[in-house]
Amino acid sequence: MKRFLNLLKKEIKELVTPQLVISLALTILLFNFVGQMSRKEVQKAIGVQNISALDLDRSAASQAILTGLESARFKIERLEGKTKEQAIDIARGGDSKLLIVIPAGFGESLQNLKPETIETYSYMRSFSLIGASGSAIVGSVISALNNVLSNKFLKERLPDLDPQSLKNPIKSKDFVIVHNRMAEASASEIANRVRSQSMLIPIVLMMIVMYSSQMVISAVAMEKQNKTLETLLTVPIRRTSIITAKMLAAGLVGLISAVVYMFGFKGFMGGIGGDELKAASSQGGAVMRQLGLYFDTSGYIILGAALFLAILVALALAMILGVLAEDFRSAQNMIMPLMFMVMIPYFLSLFADINTASLPVKIFLLVIPFSHPFLVSQNLYLGNYGMIFGGLAYMLVVFTVLVVFAARIFSTDKILTMKLRFGKKRGVTA
Amino acid sequence: MENVLTVRGLKKSYGKQMALAGIDFEVRPGEVFALIGPNGAGKTTTLRIIATLLTPGEGTITFLDHDLRKDPDFVREKISYLPEEAGAYKNMKGLDYLHFMAAFYARTPEEEKAFVDRAVEITELGARLKTKVGTYSKGMTRKILLARALMTKPVLSILDEPTSGLDVLNALEVREIVRRYVKEGTSVLLSSHNMLEIEFLSDRVALIDKGRILDSGTPHELKEKYQAKNLEEVFRSSLR
Repeated sequence: MKRFLNLLKKEIKELVTPQLVISLALTILLFNFVGQMSRKEVQKAIGVQNISALDLDRSAASQAILTGLESARFKIERLEGKTKEQAIDIARGGDSKLLIVIPAGFGESLQNLKPETIETYSYMRSFSLIGASGSAIVGSVISALNNVLSNKFLKERLPDLDPQSLKNPIKSKDFVIVHNRMAEASASEIANRVRSQSMLIPIVLMMIVMYSSQMVISAVAMEKQNKTLETLLTVPIRRTSIITAKMLAAGLVGLISAVVYMFGFKGFMGGIGGDELKAASSQGGAVMRQLGLYFDTSGYIILGAALFLAILVALALAMILGVLAEDFRSAQNMIMPLMFMVMIPYFLSLFADINTASLPVKIFLLVIPFSHPFLVSQNLYLGNYGMIFGGLAYMLVVFTVLVVFAARIFSTDKILTMKLRFGKKRGVTA
Repeated sequence: MENVLTVRGLKKSYGKQMALAGIDFEVRPGEVFALIGPNGAGKTTTLRIIATLLTPGEGTITFLDHDLRKDPDFVREKISYLPEEAGAYKNMKGLDYLHFMAAFYARTPEEEKAFVDRAVEITELGARLKTKVGTYSKGMTRKILLARALMTKPVLSILDEPTSGLDVLNALEVREIVRRYVKEGTSVLLSSHNMLEIEFLSDRVALIDKGRILDSGTPHELKEKYQAKNLEEVFRSSLR
């Protein structure tokens, strides 16, 4: 045990370099900084919007529309006595995102119940999601105008009726049933919420697998490159202890790195979302609880076990790939197959439902051990415990096979003779 | 006196390529036994097998009455191995590296300290041991690695080309270290293609070529047998 701890301490020290600590600290700072900046931009986008208006009608109706818009978070710059072309130029020079042109005769047309056209000109000064939100204003302005005007007409013509009842005679009330639980919500709303809840799992897994695997591969490759492996293999410590120490150190450091990154990521998302998202999330959370779509303690334990097993599989695989690497540089290439194995189920989980995929695709995905943690959260919600425990058992079997294989490589000549060369002759060389 | 190491009929091949075609030799307590031969003769393969890095093919290797094939863990406890192209962990300070290696062999903190003190004495690097190994010259690195191999007073120290790649002065210092610190019960099995070095260091030598031992004996015996002035001439004559 003393020898194992001696080696483990050395492995951790080798991995926790000042560069790693600085890069982690910078990541947290950077995420928070970007989050705060984004928050300011979001607040700007959802705050008071500057728009320009050219009222060529100057009727009571047109004035009422502009006053209505002013009361709905729009700051209106009224362009008096200009032609349409002049107004377009003036608005272009200012910071308005939108120019509304109300044509002459607008009020009269409304009086006669004739549809009239209001022209809107959007000034796209940015193509970012938040920057382009100006174009969304058009839709909300027109919709608000139509609503106000149609209500006004209906009230004038049919004063005894509620305009809303007339416009929407059929109303829907949506319910979602999951197993024997029911809640008032739309199916798409619940699906989106489940997706956003599970979004974190693949990200966490991706990060830990990426960091830990890279560390293990590099640790073995560096021993080869620095010519320290031969000496290490002749000291009185079991080969399995060498493998375990390297895997454990990489797992621990990878886990800490991933937690730090997630902490930074949370700061970034919190910065963007702000208080509005938190409020919406707590309302939706109640519906999710009502439907049983949340993790209780056993759910978290199962999810944790799935993530843990996936990390172990990745580390064992990385250990074997590290042996194949000739030096640190080729180790960087070795990580690619492992990354693909994590990324394939990751991207598929974003765009498709693995459970409803065709049989060949499903088999292909289920063979990849890293698919299973992605499936666990959904299967937990749906109570598919057979799939869950089957997946956990499969990962355990894969891990055992890989560790036995890795231990065998370390116990035989292969640790010194096996290597794959990228860009040179491929194959096993002695 | 009982041999430290006895090798009989040792064969080893990599695929179809035969590296050792059946070699026999033994190392006695306290002696420096050398394998000499050209590159590719099978010296490193032999040393790697005895250091438990490679698995033996046919034949038997007995180390202190233990079968190396069956009990490699016992062998690792009692030997030290210095590979030809060895390195040390570059991010570690010299002293930390020695402590790290000593901790594998020491049973108590006192023993670990004694091992490190001996290594510090062997290296003669003084304050430089408090700096990172990555900043050392080739000669300094070799000295610290040699000190690591000798500090635990192993039963058998296996040194593969101990002066390989070193300049004349550093090579001389390394040879002197081996001479000076191998007097305390440690046997040495070393390999070199530098015949003059072998003559300076060894009690007995074996001439090896193409995986076979051509002859063995003390340098004096071999020179007399082949009527040669030095081991280089002995080797040339043995090939005929």
